[in-house]
Formats: sequence, structure tokens, C-alpha cells
Amino acid sequence: MADFQTSTHRAKWIFTPNELVEKYKVSNQRAIKMLKEYGSTRIEVSADGSLSYPEPQLDATKVEKRSHTKPLSIEDEQLMRVFYEQKIQEVCLAFGFPQKIQGTAIIYFKRFYLQWSVMEHHPKNIMLTCIYASCKIEENHVSAEELGKGIQQDHQVILNNEMLVLQSLGFDLIVYAPYRSIEGFVDDIEDFCQANDQLEMLKDLKETAKLEVDRILLTDAPLLFPPGQLALAALRRSNEVHGVLDFERYLGSIISRQQSMHTSSELIESLNLIYSLLVKLKMPSSDDMKPIDRKLRYCLDPSLQDDKKREKRSKHKSKKSSSEKHGLPSSTPS
Amino acid sequence: MLEVDQLLSKKVADRYLKKEVLGEGTYGVVYKAIDTQTGQTVAIKKIRIGQYKEGVNFTALREIKLLKELKDPNIILLIDAFPHKNNLHLVFEFMESDLEAVIRDRNIVLSPADVKSYLQMTLKGLAYCHKKWVLHRDMKPNNLLIGVDGQLKLADFGLARIFGSPDRRFTHQVFARWYRAPELLFGTKQYGSGVDVWAAACIFAELLLRRPFLQGSSDIDQLGKIFAAFGTPKPAQWPDMVYLPDYVEYQFVPAPPLRSLFPMASDDTLDLLSRMFTYDPRQRISVQQALEHRYFSSVPAPTKPALLPRPPRKGDSLTSRPPDLNVQEGPTVLSPPRKSRRVMPQREKVEGDAHQADRVDDHFIDVRQTTGGNTGKSETMPMSIDFSVFGSRPPPRPTLNSADRSHLKRKLDLEFFPPE
Repeated sequence: MADFQTSTHRAKWIFTPNELVEKYKVSNQRAIKMLKEYGSTRIEVSADGSLSYPEPQLDATKVEKRSHTKPLSIEDEQLMRVFYEQKIQEVCLAFGFPQKIQGTAIIYFKRFYLQWSVMEHHPKNIMLTCIYASCKIEENHVSAEELGKGIQQDHQVILNNEMLVLQSLGFDLIVYAPYRSIEGFVDDIEDFCQANDQLEMLKDLKETAKLEVDRILLTDAPLLFPPGQLALAALRRSNEVHGVLDFERYLGSIISRQQSMHTSSELIESLNLIYSLLVKLKMPSSDDMKPIDRKLRYCLDPSLQDDKKREKRSKHKSKKSSSEKHGLPSSTPS
Repeated sequence: MLEVDQLLSKKVADRYLKKEVLGEGTYGVVYKAIDTQTGQTVAIKKIRIGQYKEGVNFTALREIKLLKELKDPNIILLIDAFPHKNNLHLVFEFMESDLEAVIRDRNIVLSPADVKSYLQMTLKGLAYCHKKWVLHRDMKPNNLLIGVDGQLKLADFGLARIFGSPDRRFTHQVFARWYRAPELLFGTKQYGSGVDVWAAACIFAELLLRRPFLQGSSDIDQLGKIFAAFGTPKPAQWPDMVYLPDYVEYQFVPAPPLRSLFPMASDDTLDLLSRMFTYDPRQRISVQQALEHRYFSSVPAPTKPALLPRPPRKGDSLTSRPPDLNVQEGPTVLSPPRKSRRVMPQREKVEGDAHQADRVDDHFIDVRQTTGGNTGKSETMPMSIDFSVFGSRPPPRPTLNSADRSHLKRKLDLEFFPPE
């Protein structure tokens, strides 16, 4: 499908920065409220997409005790999403999937967490289901079992979350990742430069740009800008390294040829904004993740906290948590 | 949050008021329903989930993802999709009938202007798909639905695919056999919009003849039928043919004059038909070009959709199709240079795994969800007619809708290539 102009992607999934902030705030606060009222944020999902919420806590003392469970902040959630988006890239790389599978999976993951807090649905499960759904939709089918086996995860979790994910995406399943746009622009740049002797350089330009796209996908930019602009931002960055062409002049030529509604300066402003998101991007390490992940585990299962207080049961606990589906991030693929 | 969830499930039960069952297909039941929010009549396709190991039904997902992006007067409108009580529900605009029911109904007379109108709407829907780089891959009269206002719309996108990526390989097991282009029958994996044009040509011919035009009983027989109608293609006519994976040499038969097959058709009709039935997919007319063909600008002008003849609503007496007695004999297949398993039978004899998929086709005939006609296998032949006299039964209408069956599904979806 090559028509972004009439797509659901353009119509429904490009937001303003304020809209994003608002959405993240709403889901974060909803989860916090749930934690207060129910003592847990865990939502059970079944394969038909139906959800069951934690039982309201009637025992006042327990609620009292559990009200100490700390929720994740909006910033925590953000870091956690980036962490698992990186994991999506690792898993896709390990399986050798084409880039668009990875791009689609990450965009699914981002769209999903516009509706939900990571406290409500564990990102590890959602990550796997997004990869699975992306393979299915991009006609590159891999069975859930195969996928689960490859990264030592229970494939039933993938299937259980599938309907929830599809529904949360509003069944808008065709997404436009910027990789394809890069191909198009590089072909165009070839004409623009009339560069027959520069084919090697253009290839480098393209490859570096694709790596830039990998990083851009970890920011909020895909929810704020159309794929063509993401691709141009990546190419501009890449051109700074390779110095193949006069990029400003090239942008000018695109604008004049497309008779677009935008001006050259508007386009440059967008590219600068994408650039600044990229600069701000914080790649969380496993160490950064540990405290956040601990919080998340208590949110999902506050009884872990009770256990912890009883030191002598720690052995039992470690056994229990290792059989838990929601493990530490470090238990994800190696 | 809780409210949101409750809203989601309530909307389902409350918003749509279920009425009678319209049909039952391999992948679920279709209901007529009223959308209480708009008062509109809709059709709801209900698909069981979690039934197979591979999660949400593949065919349904294909249909949803494409129809969400395709909005055109000649494409079925997907209004909504939601899960409810272990079923995925797809809500479509309600359609009264389908083109197969029109073609079959002996009480309907189709004037040249009517045929032109039906073909034009078919091609318009297809042109829109191709413009968006979507191949339908299951064009047949049964999948062309007709609305209350007479508008024809392409439906059933369960086999449809995005095309245009260079070098991407597809399965050739698409389309019901009678509508399959020769390049598919020769096993090509790289094809384009020409396959839909060929199928549209078959539908055009079917509108003119009022019976399916090329009724092969196997893939080999299908090619035989095609060659009997248009002559065995010479390599000069279709240079790539001999390199196709399943190419077999057929005994040469010359083409009878096209006029002899369509005695009543105008010159413009025959010209457009022959361009749509061109062997070499590279030379075959595109849908857009077909729409610009003088056939559509010459008299008579296409009938306005609202004035087109349509079959009576569902519930009227069962119309049985008279048996098709003009079985054409195809040319003999010569033994192929490389593939001895293809040394060829006449019709009916099916052997070797090469034909597995055909058997599957015939086996899981899908009784479609259409409203107007008695379609698919549900139609019974009049008891008094004994086909043994003719040596062979007329072939049942083949379909390719068993994609849910995991074995065929694997066949269809075996497009996972190890990454570059």
C-alpha cells in the first residue's frame, strides 16, 4: 500500500506533542488510581481480548500496607518503553527479520502504550505480541511457538495478548515505517546529484540513514511526524557524516517539485525537532532498569513485597519469581 | 479504565441488533444486523478466535488490514471490527445480492448496456485496488456483491495482498481455478495486477455467456480449456512462458475466431475481451486502460446502477442452474521435457502431490455469505439429469477459501523467506 495520504496512519496516528503528553499522563494516573484502590495494577487478558481486573481489596489493613507500593512515574514508563523497544530491535535482529518487521512492531508497541500504562500490561509480553503481529501483518509469518522458542518465552502469552493488541491498535494495522521512504529518497538523490560515480557513497548514505532510523524509532518522533520526514531527518544526519550533497538545496528541490503546502523552512523546522528528540533520547541500561523493574513487579503483584518482608521466605520467593511470567528484563533474550 | 472496558463490550451487544443468519462460511457465520446508532442495516461476519494454534484468523486479519485503508464506492465498506465473546466480529455494509446470482438467474435478461455497467463497476473497484498496490487475487462473480442501490462492490479480501516490492514472491495458489490466469497455472511466483485483469475478463465473458466461461476440472485441464479458446500460445506471443516453473508443452491448437465463442458480442466487446485475455501478462491491458477503452464510451452507455436487473430477494424459490452441456475438449498435453509426473491425463484423473491443492479446493467448498443467491454447493442439480451419460460430472464451482484449514493455510502462507 503506497498511499500514505489516505492512510489510517496519517489520519489517526500522528499527534501533537501536547496530545502525547496528555495521553501518557492519563494512562499513568489511571494505573496509579487502580493501584490505590485495588492494591495491584495487574490486568489479566484472555485470548478473546477480554480483561479481568484485580479484586477490590476489602481487607483495610492489607490495602494500608500495599498503599506503600510505589507506582512508576511517567518518566519511568518512558524509560521502560524505550528499553523494550530496543529489545524489539534485538529480537528482530536475532531472527534476521527484514527491517520493516522491526519498524512495524515498534510502531505497534508505541501505539499500544498510548492507550495503556506499562503498569497495566507488562511490556515484555506486549513486545513479543507486537513482533508476532507485525510478522503476521507484513506477510512474513512466523508461528508463535517458533517465536517463543527462539527467545525462551511462553508462546501462549503471545497468543493471549494478540486480540488485546489488535484492538488497542484500533485494527489499524498497516503502518508506514521510514525505511521504504529512505529507499525512495536515495533513488531521488541519485537523480538530483546526477552522480554516476558516487554510487558507493550513496550506498553508505543509505546504510547510515537506516541506522539513524533505528534510533529515531526509539523516540516519540514516529508518533509526531510522517515517515517521509523521519526518513529525511535520518538522511540529513547521515549526510553530515558522508557529505554527499548539499542537503538544504535538495530539500528546496523537493518542496518546489511537490508544490507542497509546506515551505522549506517548515520542513527544516520539523527535521530539527526530530533531531532534538534524537539528542534527548536516553538509552536505558540494565542497571537503569533494575529499580523501575522492581517497582513494576510490586505493582503487578504486591504480595511479592509481603514476601520480601519475611526474610526467611526469601528462598521460596526466588523460586516463585523465577516461575513468574513477568521476570526481570535481564531474563529476556540474550 | 473499567468504564472503558465495559463500554467496549457493551457497545457490541447493544449497538448491533442481530437478525437472521445470512450464510455460513468456512471461517464463520454471517448475520444480518441493525446498527442501532445509525439505523443502518449491516452484515456481521463472526469469526471464532483462539480456535487454531496461530491465534487470530489470518484471512480475517488480511481482510481487516486492507479494508481499513481502502475506501471506494466499488469496494465493500468495513464499518467496524471488534472482539466479543470469543468471536471476532467484522461489520460490513449490507449487500443485497451478488453477481453470481445475477448471472445464474434465468429470469434476468442482461442487455449489452447492463453487462457494460456491471463490468465497469468491477473494473473501477479493481482500478482503485491496483492504484493502492493491492491485488485482490480472488475475483469471481460470487465475490462481487450488489448493494440495495445496485452498486457493485468488490468483497472478500482474504486472499488480497500488497504488491510492488521488487522480487517479492507470492503463492500461485490463488483465485478459484476458473478465474486463474495462465501464468498462475504455470506456477509463476512473481506476478502483478495482470492476474486480476484475467479474472475480470473471465467475469466479462461469464456476463456475456451466462455461464462460467472456462470450466477446467484441474489445473492442467484449465490450461487446456484456455488454449482451446484462444489457441496454444507461441513463444513469440509470450516469450517468458517457457521459463515458468510448471511450464508444460501443449499440443498446438489454433485459435478459433473469438466471434465464434461470443456470437452476439459487438466489435468493441470482442476487442476489449481479447486485450484482457492477452497471454503475456506484460502485454495484457491494465485495468485503467480497460476503463478507457472505447467499449465504455461507445453506445450503448452503461446502465445506471439503480436500474440494473437484479435477482429477487432471498427467500424466493430455489433457482437451479441448468446443467452445462457444452463441455469443450481441450487439446492433448504432450509429455513435458522435464517433469514426468506431469505426463498427462485427460480430465478427472488427479495424481501426484502437484494437484493436492486442487483437491483441497474442491473439498472444502465454501458456502458463501451472500444474500441473494443459492451459491456454492448448496445448489443441487435436478435429480432427473444423469450425468453418467456424459462420462463426467460437470465440475463443481471451485473456490479457494479454505485458508483456515491449517494444511492449505501453510501452503498459502509459505511466504516466509529467510531474510536477506
